[in-house]
Amino acid sequence: MADKMTMVVSEGTFDKAIMPLMLATTAASMGTEVNVYYTFFGTKLLKKGANPKMPGMMRLFTGMMVGRMKKMGIPDFDGMMKQAMELGVNFYACSTTMGLMGISESDLRPGVKVLGAAAFIKKAQESNVNLFIG
Amino acid sequence: MDKNATLDAKGLMCPMPIVGLAKKVKEMKSGQVLELLCDDIGGKEDVPAWCSRTGHTLLSMEEDGKILKFYIKIK
Repeated sequence: MADKMTMVVSEGTFDKAIMPLMLATTAASMGTEVNVYYTFFGTKLLKKGANPKMPGMMRLFTGMMVGRMKKMGIPDFDGMMKQAMELGVNFYACSTTMGLMGISESDLRPGVKVLGAAAFIKKAQESNVNLFIG
Repeated sequence: MDKNATLDAKGLMCPMPIVGLAKKVKEMKSGQVLELLCDDIGGKEDVPAWCSRTGHTLLSMEEDGKILKFYIKIK
């Protein structure tokens, strides 16, 4: 049975944005089929030009975090999204949340697909790893 | 150790060496040997784990001070 993994991302702050991408990229590098499902505030991360910030007052330190990460060889959010897509990670936006947040398909980053809950649950049931991030 | 290519991942932190490794291996042919240089402490466990999940063979690992040298045979 091939490795399959799903992740659900429900928040849109910088820390919650980067973490699933680190895991998704690693899993994809190991030959896992990775499906990441974004819902509620996480859906904003799938918009073109999304630039998430650290939560609360720490938003002021986002630039510093990005700088530190770059020194460690870790790309910024946009770079990580591109890298993940290149490795075959599948990104899905929750269709209902899109309606709630006023996001249309044309707002989404190229390569992102729209998925409903039932289809996502089926993927989760077929996976051996299912993670919920934030 | 005979090698067909070297990937220098020094200075990169987990999981970037693994991401680079996966990309490089795609470009290589079956039977070739890749030398991976890495100084991230996570690499010691990451590289064998990657090999065991992907089916490529970890021929050996050497420690040269802080630098880890892995020799991986492409399946």
